[in-house]
Amino acid sequence: MTQYVIRRLLLMIPVAFLVTIIAFGLLRLAPGDPVLVYAGEERDPVSLQELRVLYGLDKPLPVQYIVWLQHAVRGDLGRSLRTRQPVSEAIIERLPATLELGLAAIALSTSIALIVGTIAAVKRNSFVDLLTSSITLAAVSLPNFFLGLILILVLGLALRMFPPGGYVPFLEDPGDNLRRLVLPAITLATASMAVNLRQVRSSLLDVFSHEYIRTARAKGLRESTVIARHAMKNALIPIVTLIGLQIGSVIEGAIITETIFFWPGVGRLLVDSITGLDYPVVQAVVLVSALSFMLSTLAVDMLYAWLDPRISYGRSRT
Amino acid sequence: MSRSVKLFAFLATAGLLIAACGDSGPSAPGAQQSAPGTAASPAPAAPAAGRPAPGGTLTFVLENDVINFDPLVSRAFVDRNVHYQIYDSLVRIDAAGKIIPWLAEKWEFSDGDKTVTLSLRKNVTYHDGTAFDADSVKWNIDRYRTAKGSARSGELASIDTVEVVDPSTVRFKLKAPFAGLLANLVDRAGMMVSRKAVEAGGEDFTRKAFRAGTGPFILTEAIKDDHMTLEKNPNWWGTDKDGNKLPYLDKITVKPITNSDVRLTNLKTGDAHVGNNIAGKDVAGVKAEGTLVYQEKPGLSFASIIPNRAPGFVFEDARYVRAVSMAIDRQEIHEKVFFGVGAIGYGPIAPPHFAFDPAFKPFPKADADGAKKLVAEVGKGALTFEFLVSSGDPQTLQLAQLIQAQLAKAEITAEIKQLQFSEILKLQDEKSFKGATLIGWSGRIDPDGNTYDHVFTDRPFNDSSYSNADVDKALDEQRATTDEAKRKAALRKAEQTMVVDDPARIWYRFGVAQLITVKALQGLEPYPDQLIRFQFAWLKK
Repeated sequence: MTQYVIRRLLLMIPVAFLVTIIAFGLLRLAPGDPVLVYAGEERDPVSLQELRVLYGLDKPLPVQYIVWLQHAVRGDLGRSLRTRQPVSEAIIERLPATLELGLAAIALSTSIALIVGTIAAVKRNSFVDLLTSSITLAAVSLPNFFLGLILILVLGLALRMFPPGGYVPFLEDPGDNLRRLVLPAITLATASMAVNLRQVRSSLLDVFSHEYIRTARAKGLRESTVIARHAMKNALIPIVTLIGLQIGSVIEGAIITETIFFWPGVGRLLVDSITGLDYPVVQAVVLVSALSFMLSTLAVDMLYAWLDPRISYGRSRT
Repeated sequence: MSRSVKLFAFLATAGLLIAACGDSGPSAPGAQQSAPGTAASPAPAAPAAGRPAPGGTLTFVLENDVINFDPLVSRAFVDRNVHYQIYDSLVRIDAAGKIIPWLAEKWEFSDGDKTVTLSLRKNVTYHDGTAFDADSVKWNIDRYRTAKGSARSGELASIDTVEVVDPSTVRFKLKAPFAGLLANLVDRAGMMVSRKAVEAGGEDFTRKAFRAGTGPFILTEAIKDDHMTLEKNPNWWGTDKDGNKLPYLDKITVKPITNSDVRLTNLKTGDAHVGNNIAGKDVAGVKAEGTLVYQEKPGLSFASIIPNRAPGFVFEDARYVRAVSMAIDRQEIHEKVFFGVGAIGYGPIAPPHFAFDPAFKPFPKADADGAKKLVAEVGKGALTFEFLVSSGDPQTLQLAQLIQAQLAKAEITAEIKQLQFSEILKLQDEKSFKGATLIGWSGRIDPDGNTYDHVFTDRPFNDSSYSNADVDKALDEQRATTDEAKRKAALRKAEQTMVVDDPARIWYRFGVAQLITVKALQGLEPYPDQLIRFQFAWLKK
């Protein structure tokens, strides 16, 4: 097991390396000169050249990449071209907002998916099942930029039930923080909720057809025990995979939602930095989000072994 | 879009929505009270009703988050809104745009205007307790002039050496006379920062709340994208006309809100008390709103279309540029795109400038026939050019489309091409754009800052690659003297050439400085630079 984890962790290194090369290369293909963007009206050529030297942008691209990589492996992600703030600080500053939104959305989508999905599976082909199927189909087809705008228009501006955007730190005003969380969390949760719900329903249905369920029922167990103790645990594996991947992609998942709702998270930082050609920030955010994705897939694989003792890692090779 | 980019794009293209009212506009260059040139203390800005009461807290909605608190590297307009509260400059302007004493109590030009001697205010201390003196001025000016990556070196390029004469006298020796120097010392290039604070904090001294200025407020908290807190500096040197210590307010919360509608909502609901930028479409509504007071003053900014006049490009021929300038209906742009907020303009010299000529209206009406004749005179067929517009900004596109429609009446074809703003900047800097771009200038206190670097041969902001020996000569003349009458004559002569005879650009409007306050907030008035002087603000109980 330990060996397996170590092997997986080592495998992440070449993947992360590739990710950084791609992020670095793609960004440099975008037209424009970051120094000009940040110079604003202060476009004195001498000063611009000094800035290029200061930021290392005067060096050939491969050299720029190697310099960046040398610092990155030592944990120094550089400084934002725009604000000169250390990039790691900029990301850490915005992480709480992203995590709050992302986890709230996952909690929302998972709990609804588990409850409604189970009902739909148990009452297969009933009216409830039909209704949830149609709603989930609509939800999964609705792009979140559109849903977000509709929510802002209806609940935010017309009915004034929730603020249309913005963020207040939880410690400063917990009530306001939660009020502002509602619309973006619904927006972000909707699509994944639909996917999760369908997954819950279909894997439960799959499990229901197994013989051990018939056995359990034949033993005279109550239906609720059959579902909760026997069916659910076995149906969870694909659901855990889905949720694990959703947790791992919380940063990129929130990019659009954060932008629409003016939510000061890492996703919005990334969007702002791409249009502003803030190379170090984009590279770092891409790297961090790739790493978090890889770590969460590893965690998901670990969870499998716990959920299903038949799955084990490493032993098969020996 | 990055916020600074957005701001800049906005300033550049919309020519500052922060824009002036048409009727009060160009002919009344801020005829408000102005402090005498040697006053010992700043006078309160507006004769407010009732007596100023100390104390109180207010919220200021700012159009964006501050990017950099260090005047050395600050490049965004939005930064200055906070700089002006925490730092003092050597000199400042009054509400009419005239330079007034600040940390320098008086100044004297000598040696054929090649030496400037400043007498400094005594008993001024920085927020960190260190003393402000001549050594401090020298250290600051030298830092701005020589630090790598300084955004201020251009503004102070005329200074050769800084000498400390005695603790309260400092002398600048100039390489050549430069009339615009004092105006540059009004803003960030003249802001005094505590050496101790900078040396202790290094590059990051402004990263967290810091004590480095001498200004009326101290920055005690700065939370990125959320808010900044400015608290009263109890030891500030300024007093009002009755001798009461300034500032009156205890605390200012600055909230950055990029969306103009949201800013306005905050003001309307009373969550915020003051703002200095709302969209043109909302001005009429705010004026009608009973809870708010709207004030405005002609601004220093201009908006222009930049043709590429370098050899080999369409607009190499001056007649083409003039044809475009003639064909444009500035009145219609003013009304349809800017809702009548701002002022129609024809050149770079703005209404608050001493050299502004209200009678200078070379293209009073759109003249499609005249433009057609000029194009025909060139004899190369119809005029068609590529018109670069930054993508993702609906108002700019609307403006470009209106201009396109107006030019079509004169059979001139503007082919709109939308590009990322960063890409347009690059093409413009390389001077490789094919036709024309839309860009403005946030304006400078001295008309030199609105002209010289934009049209003088090979200067940094001369994006149209313009070169005219007469203009260069006149602009050099106005730099070399501090005599306002002579400067005015030279600047107006240059303007006539660069706008009409051999046009460098197509200027079409001036901006405005706005101020929106709740009724209870007193003592404030707009300044041409749009920045708020919070030391004069007080809340009516």
